[in-house]
Amino acid sequence: MPPDRGRSGLGVRRIVRRLASPVYLAALVAIVGFAYLGQGDPMSYFALSLVIASIYITLALAWDLSSGMTGYLNFGLPFFFGLGAFTTGYFSWQDHVRSQPLLAIASLAVGLLAGFLFAFPTLRLRGPYFSLLSILLPLIATDVVLSYWTQLHMPTQGYYSIPLLGPTSAAELIVLSAVNALLLTGFFLLRDSHFGLVLRGIRDDEEALSAQGVRTFPYKLVVFTLASGAAGYAGAMYAMVISFAGPDTFQFTFLIFPILIVILGGTGEIAGSVLAGYVVMLLYSYFLQAFTELTFIVFTGAAILLVLFLPGGILRPLRSFIQFMRTPEPP
Amino acid sequence: MSLLELADVSRSFGGNRAVDRVSFDMSDRVLAVVGPNGAGKTTLLNLIAGQLRPSRGSIRFRGREISRLAPWRIVGLGMVKTYQIVRPFRSLTVEENLSLFARLRGKAEVGEILQETGLREVRGQLAGALPFGLLKRLELAKGLASRPELLLLDEPIGGLSREEAQGLVGTLEALKSHGVGMVVVEHRLSEILPIVDRVVALDQGRLIFHGTREGFFEDPSVRAAYLGGRDAGG
Repeated sequence: MPPDRGRSGLGVRRIVRRLASPVYLAALVAIVGFAYLGQGDPMSYFALSLVIASIYITLALAWDLSSGMTGYLNFGLPFFFGLGAFTTGYFSWQDHVRSQPLLAIASLAVGLLAGFLFAFPTLRLRGPYFSLLSILLPLIATDVVLSYWTQLHMPTQGYYSIPLLGPTSAAELIVLSAVNALLLTGFFLLRDSHFGLVLRGIRDDEEALSAQGVRTFPYKLVVFTLASGAAGYAGAMYAMVISFAGPDTFQFTFLIFPILIVILGGTGEIAGSVLAGYVVMLLYSYFLQAFTELTFIVFTGAAILLVLFLPGGILRPLRSFIQFMRTPEPP
Repeated sequence: MSLLELADVSRSFGGNRAVDRVSFDMSDRVLAVVGPNGAGKTTLLNLIAGQLRPSRGSIRFRGREISRLAPWRIVGLGMVKTYQIVRPFRSLTVEENLSLFARLRGKAEVGEILQETGLREVRGQLAGALPFGLLKRLELAKGLASRPELLLLDEPIGGLSREEAQGLVGTLEALKSHGVGMVVVEHRLSEILPIVDRVVALDQGRLIFHGTREGFFEDPSVRAAYLGGRDAGG
């Protein structure tokens, strides 16, 4: 018998069930636990890893929302991340803004605006043509920003003395996790709405969808703008965690971890990204300590193995196990 | 006013004229478009649906020129095309496949459409897991979900068994009685003929017959096109 996915649509019970899903709760418990333990040594290293993981989870959620749900591979996300960090650095340096919420909101707004400007022309292309532009345009924009870095009266090395997000890693983790929980809730509601249904339709067969009457462009425009805004916010958080924003924050490596997290979490499985985010980053932190120079080789090997053996993400076997445990034994 | 009017419509692909100065109007409920392979039937349907633009000529739906409109705008006016090779949204349930289109023109009752098309029992199943016969029904149901006044059906019973085809033709007959217009491209003419009011026949892109189903079989041009020789009918 083929799987029965039930009815779609919003409903209070459905929302409550979503919010109380075991994975969500498990992730929250883990965050609070680590935050508590992370206040003293030697756990602070792992607490910092969890802080960074939380930022990558935001990026992964943004990537999953836009690319995972629509099937449009967007490689431009690191640019909006860098732009968010840059915005935070710029305002805290030039205008001496010391309020973290204000800096976060400014970065979010810049991310949204830049995302809209990027998405409006590029989303008229599909498939590999869109992906190619999503790499090229941000690369050109990054080059322009970096070329004019000093002319714009920016410190050569980058902005430093950016106000810290929190007094301790634990406090930062709680702030980041709370915002991620909000984002996650928003993403769930979006996914289960008619809007989310159209996004999934775009992923399955956009040509048939538009031929049969759905104008897909506005849906894509909204979702890519939102994802860019989320990346801008994540960039601001990163800048406030390390108290620095320089040219390095535009690096392409800021996309590798989020994509890996989404693949391991299961593409389109938003909750899976949360769990996968902690797994990937804790594993990476452990490897950094254990293997030092060989970290990236060992980590890449482990990532390949995880993707090979868990192609549908880490939630799928977990669900199968729960379903197996629930299935009553035949009399 | 005619539901659909085509005037001097042509479409070329390079040097090949797939549809050549075709003109007809549709005042009845069900029009069958027939012809041998390569006659230009599917191209004509795509031109009407807005998926292709005519090289020349005019297409009017309920008096409004639509030949330069995007497909989604044409659906908004009340005309939708279903695919010959089924294109379900495989990762969505049957009901979700319909819900995608249920808000396009007012609010369609998805439950009613599921009932009409015989998909009620499988409403919660993933479309990708359905057998071919049900996928053909789903293709029709997706078309109905936008509450069209005119359905463009490209080989709706192609690939179905005789029993499955009879069932689907029965559904189309019920739709006709509810006032839904249909342009049907179909090779299995004898099975679809009972619900057809008029027939348009194409050969090598040109219109060779437009008239009643009774007149269709008597027409010498039609017989020539189907039997091969130009003088076969004479």
